[in-house]
Amino acid sequence: MPVPPTVRLANEIAAQFHHQSADRAAAAIAQHIRAFWEPRMREELLQHTTSTPEALDPLVVAAARLVS
Amino acid sequence: MTTVHVPRDSAARSAGADEVAAAFARHPDVRVVRNGSRGMLWLEPLVEVTTDHGRVGYGPVTPDRVPELLDAIRAGADHDLHLGPVDDLPWMRAQNRICLARVGVTDPLSTTDYENHGGIKGLRRALDIGPEATVAEVTESGLRGRGGAGFPAGIKWKTVADTPGELKFVCCNADEGDSGTFADRMLLEGDPFCLIEGMTIAAHAVGATEGYIYIRSEYPDAVTTFRRAVDIAYAHNWLGEDILGRGLRFDLHVRVGAGAYICGEETSMLESLEGKRGVVRAKPPIPAITGLFGRPTVVNNVLTLASVPRILADGGTAYHKLGVERSRGTQVFQLAGNVKHGGVFETDFGISLRDLVEHHGGGTRSGRPVRAVQVGGPLGAYIPESGLDLPMDYEKFAEAGAMLGHGGIVVFDDTVDMAAMARFAFEFCAEESCGKCTPCRVGAVRGVEVIDRITGGEDPDANMALLNDLCDLMTDGSLCAMGGLTPNPVRSALLHFADDFTPRRATS
Amino acid sequence: MTLLKEPDRGTPAQPGPAVVDVEVDGIPVTVPAGTSVMRAAALSGVDIPKLCATDSLEPFGSCRLCLVEIDGRRGTPASCTTPVAAGMKVRTQTPKLEKLRQGVMELYISDHPLDCLTCSANGDCELQDMAGEVGLRQVRYGYDGENHLGLEKDTSNPYFDFEPSKCISCSRCVRACGEIQGTFALTIEGRGFESKVSAGGQPFMQSECVSCGACVQACPTATLQEKSVVQLGMPSRTVLTTCAYCGVGCSFKAELRGDELVRMVPYKDGGANEGHSCVKGRFAFGYATHPDRVLSPMVREKITDPWREVSWEEAISHTAARMREIQAKHGQASIGGITSSRCTNEEVYVVQKMVRAAFGNNNVDTCARVCHSPTGYGLKQTFGESAGTQDFRSVAQADVIVVIGANPTDGHPVFASRMKKRLRQGAKLIVVDPRRIDLVRSPHIEAAHHLQLRPGTNVAVVNAFAHVVVTEGLVDRSFVDSRCEGYDEWAEFIARPENSPEVVEEVTGVPAAEIRAAARLYATAGNAAIYYGLGVTEHSQGSTMVMGMANLAMATGNVGRDGVGVNPLRGQNNVQGSCDMGSFPHELPGYRHVSDDAVRAVFETVWGRTIRPEPGLRIPNMFDAAIAGTFRGLFVQGEDIAQSDPNTAHVTAALEALDLVVVQDLFLNETAKFAHVFLPGTSFLEKDGTFTNAERRINRVRPVMAPKTGKHEWQIVCELAQALGYPMDYSHPREIMAEIAALTPTFAGVSFERLDQLGSIQWPCDDNAPTGTPTMHVETFTRGKGRFVPTSFVPTSERATRKFPLILTTGRILSQYNVGAQTRRTANVAWHPEDVLEIHPHDAEVRGIRDGDEVSLASRVGRTSLRAVLSDRMPVGVVYTTFHHPVTGANVVTTENSDWATNCPEYKVTAVQVSLRTTQREPAVVD
Repeated sequence: MPVPPTVRLANEIAAQFHHQSADRAAAAIAQHIRAFWEPRMREELLQHTTSTPEALDPLVVAAARLVS
Repeated sequence: MTTVHVPRDSAARSAGADEVAAAFARHPDVRVVRNGSRGMLWLEPLVEVTTDHGRVGYGPVTPDRVPELLDAIRAGADHDLHLGPVDDLPWMRAQNRICLARVGVTDPLSTTDYENHGGIKGLRRALDIGPEATVAEVTESGLRGRGGAGFPAGIKWKTVADTPGELKFVCCNADEGDSGTFADRMLLEGDPFCLIEGMTIAAHAVGATEGYIYIRSEYPDAVTTFRRAVDIAYAHNWLGEDILGRGLRFDLHVRVGAGAYICGEETSMLESLEGKRGVVRAKPPIPAITGLFGRPTVVNNVLTLASVPRILADGGTAYHKLGVERSRGTQVFQLAGNVKHGGVFETDFGISLRDLVEHHGGGTRSGRPVRAVQVGGPLGAYIPESGLDLPMDYEKFAEAGAMLGHGGIVVFDDTVDMAAMARFAFEFCAEESCGKCTPCRVGAVRGVEVIDRITGGEDPDANMALLNDLCDLMTDGSLCAMGGLTPNPVRSALLHFADDFTPRRATS
Repeated sequence: MTLLKEPDRGTPAQPGPAVVDVEVDGIPVTVPAGTSVMRAAALSGVDIPKLCATDSLEPFGSCRLCLVEIDGRRGTPASCTTPVAAGMKVRTQTPKLEKLRQGVMELYISDHPLDCLTCSANGDCELQDMAGEVGLRQVRYGYDGENHLGLEKDTSNPYFDFEPSKCISCSRCVRACGEIQGTFALTIEGRGFESKVSAGGQPFMQSECVSCGACVQACPTATLQEKSVVQLGMPSRTVLTTCAYCGVGCSFKAELRGDELVRMVPYKDGGANEGHSCVKGRFAFGYATHPDRVLSPMVREKITDPWREVSWEEAISHTAARMREIQAKHGQASIGGITSSRCTNEEVYVVQKMVRAAFGNNNVDTCARVCHSPTGYGLKQTFGESAGTQDFRSVAQADVIVVIGANPTDGHPVFASRMKKRLRQGAKLIVVDPRRIDLVRSPHIEAAHHLQLRPGTNVAVVNAFAHVVVTEGLVDRSFVDSRCEGYDEWAEFIARPENSPEVVEEVTGVPAAEIRAAARLYATAGNAAIYYGLGVTEHSQGSTMVMGMANLAMATGNVGRDGVGVNPLRGQNNVQGSCDMGSFPHELPGYRHVSDDAVRAVFETVWGRTIRPEPGLRIPNMFDAAIAGTFRGLFVQGEDIAQSDPNTAHVTAALEALDLVVVQDLFLNETAKFAHVFLPGTSFLEKDGTFTNAERRINRVRPVMAPKTGKHEWQIVCELAQALGYPMDYSHPREIMAEIAALTPTFAGVSFERLDQLGSIQWPCDDNAPTGTPTMHVETFTRGKGRFVPTSFVPTSERATRKFPLILTTGRILSQYNVGAQTRRTANVAWHPEDVLEIHPHDAEVRGIRDGDEVSLASRVGRTSLRAVLSDRMPVGVVYTTFHHPVTGANVVTTENSDWATNCPEYKVTAVQVSLRTTQREPAVVD
């Protein structure tokens, strides 16, 4: 089963912020997604946070809460 | 044990010195020392035997005569090759050897010999008095460049010394390509340390840390000897990081040319040293400011630099006392061509050309009357017999439309065809031009063609006018002295030997 | 305009103020110190005869025509090599000089063919001019002396001939090859009369010659002459325009004879190139008139149908109707557009405007997505502006030049020549690249350090650089304290042991001592400048790397003056411009976010439409959405996404899923295979507008010919917008630029009139900088304080495995350009008939591969086959190829990996296996 693009992309973003504290990292990820992601993609990511949270970096899950 | 000196100079070797030395070496009671040449080339191989009365000469010696010669020496008997004490020979007595003081006397690669005969004194004094005073001594001496242009060495050094730069160079031009010149070679082979010392003094004076000597490839013996001398000098602390323990740093590299005459021109030599094709650079900028790899650079001839140790040792004033007018010190004249006694003859400036050619040189080897003498290499003027009273003096020569150049004197007897010699001047230029500037590159070839037309009787007046125009163009229009001086021999031939240009070869 | 003949003042201009007063033939003139007498004379209006002198080259002094007399000086010095001195009185015309000059000309002509009337340079020959100027009336030597008239012509180069019988040995070609181009392919062979120009003793085509044309440009006779001039004759008029190849943006004189383009000649006043060119811009323009060009619009229902030529009206109304249909069915956001970095600013602007105003969404992206989007992101985050910091001239002031992931001698040859000139003057070079690019060791140049890192480890290397700077006390504290923010946090991060050269050595493969030495050199040698290319951006951490370089430059105070900076070498002619024009889905023109209400309001007022405040889809997002079925229609302006975008399988699947693909291009490219509408585009020779190069320089592109398609591209887009119901109308591209200037603060002072007047303008251009801004961030950064951003190294997920043990990286070569659509349709194929795979002899040996063997190249997504060339330019374990030929399908093997911040594809790292092919070559296959 291929990884959905939004999941892959979000995880890749999250990987860049692991050197920061979880709070700051989540805020930065959320900010990035807000600034660069088209609404459909954000919507899809939010769905993944509930349907397949295990596929997502925990920071993404935290960030997604801030995006919505 | 008998000590025998047999020169290792390549002129002597070409006359069989190696074989002679080998013949002596076969005798266990003979110690053979290979010295430089005294410069009496008609006597080579000139063998010298150390006796209680000094060094007694025999020459020219052939290997087959070595046993009988040794018998005569041991028996104290006379021999037909016996010349008497060498220093007492008229040729030697008449000279004032400064550059060549040790040449022929010492073992060229013996540091002991070098020091025992006055070497390294100049460098020690230069280090004592410091760079500025060193430059001042050279300026005071009146030493001018011996390569041909005669530019005051002290002024050149001062320019380099005054030009700021972390890296400066001293380059010695040993691309001795002029016909009838061989003094540089004899010094390189006969007293290399003298040049090393001179370059080191120059480096100290101007603040240079690196030196290059550019030796023509046609001088393999000189290259070998000089390279060995450099190695010995490093081992002896005469070169390197801490010269004579006085904190002076100077590294010297030997580079060999590739057969281009033009690399005797200083800017071409610099190009060649940089690994490029040897072509002339336009001046300005002058090498003293923008020289090797764009850095301030002293470029001097071998004999200029070889004069320096003595100038420093004895002081500039002593040197300045020698010579005449603005030509101070000594010059190493080289007698060649059709001359009875050919060789090197170092004496004060001011001696007449006639004295050199007729008295010391003994006239022509053919025994016929002298017709012309060419001084200063292939681009020097031809001087007719009637002009031989000219004193050896830069300015007097210039006034006579001639040049002293590097001191080479080539003698011709009355059989010489001066139109052919004029043609040769162009031919030489065409052969050796670097090809950069138009007057030299194309003009030399056209010069040959025009002279052929003149001597072939083809519209001689118009072609003579064209030849004159071409000479003007090359003199005034050429980039460097090569093209600029080529008209010298042509014009002097035309002036003094016009008859030779009358058409006489209908077939040409 | 008639044929533009630029003045030639004989020797280069000297820097500094005019302070030396001299008099030439009684005319006073004041010039900078160091100026030659020749140039001073030219500036006073007196032209001294000359042949070997030309103001693009250092004086040489060989022809001896320019001799003058100077009062108080002996002889007749050459005016080209004699510098002026205060109070000097020069005479350029005296009887003596006249005679000397005639004498020189007499010699020249005595060895020159007397075929002026039938010579291709007749009318454009300096030898001919000089013979007239000096009053040559006779050649007394005759013409039967020794000569070179029998020398054979070398016609091996496809673009120019070398006819040595006409050579006057002035060495201008040789000097141009060395001084300007820096290739040193030419020399003078032999000496004296035998001196002759030689391409290293071989025909030009076999030599080191790179066909930059500098020698042809420099030649004063017909010796080196464009074949096109030989065939077509001398041009009679000039149109000044800008090259459409790489991001250097060279200015050219298009020289025409009637309406036929005879040649492109680099323009001396061109700000980017200052009279230099490369083989592409100078010669490879023939594609513009290639028979493959499509000149009529075409439509088809299904991509399996044959194309049907239609009128423009039908093509446009058909397209509009289909788009509206899709939007009606699938929503307003179901269509989008891609702009091209090959098109003009004006053409790009109207496409993004059409998407935002007529489509009513932000689904616009640009092909810069796949090359320099990380530059835009990274430099904006740190410096505040999505652009390089310097002008090209700046490199002449650099003491240390760092080249990272760029191959300037192939990719940006004209700038590379400038860089090489500076390197020959003694600037130190640091190359960071897995491949030993030519610059590492080329004539008179050798890199002080070549950090041959493993592909994908850039960030680790730049962090280690910064680690050395911070931990060894090499930080420029006063710069950092006064001009930057975020330093302490960054410094704490970068000083961590994990960023030390010793620790990263294992992952980068670069010896720690090398990194330390290179970092010290960068930090301490005065002016240090970074130049980078796609080897930085096309990685999963492309944006991080850009920020890493910016951090390094700020920490060492290397921003905001000449000779320093962080400089992207842009791939295409208008990458900078297409990004400036609002082509990114999240930004309006001038890099302003769509969520900014104030900015949107400005555009909404002028455009008369509401703009969505949310970012649109990026190109890879469009592909994903197409496969998901939510994105159905795409307008593609001049980009061959099917060939140039990564993971071809994925791209074609997406294209096949679309209901409507509209392609606007010169040729039926790979993408057109999936298109339903083809709108023929125009070449740069037909365009009227502006390109913006890598140094933010806006250059005019002027039409050399009328659009061969009957319509300008911007007109087509406007008509399409109108057909969609959005009124968009301009009578001339200058009106589009006027709108851009009105809406974009950084372009406020730009107009066609201003450009015509100034030649070019580097933005920002506004009231504070009315002539533009060569160097950015001089006093303050665009964002105020420069911002340090911690850049943690996250290795790419693409790694060598047992199945795919080698790493493939890609690049391009000098003679070809990107997907090759242009260069493959010129004689440039002579240099590069096919893409090859460079493989290290060791890797080849263990696979039984010999030089020239056909090999199969496979990755986890696809495989292709090509010819192997053994080369030790790459380290063991890395292979390299180019992507100029569609048959190679290099992107069949590249993956979906992309830069985390911008989704710029990770072209530079793909795990592959290479094996010997025994069967015949097969087409690229998608697994």
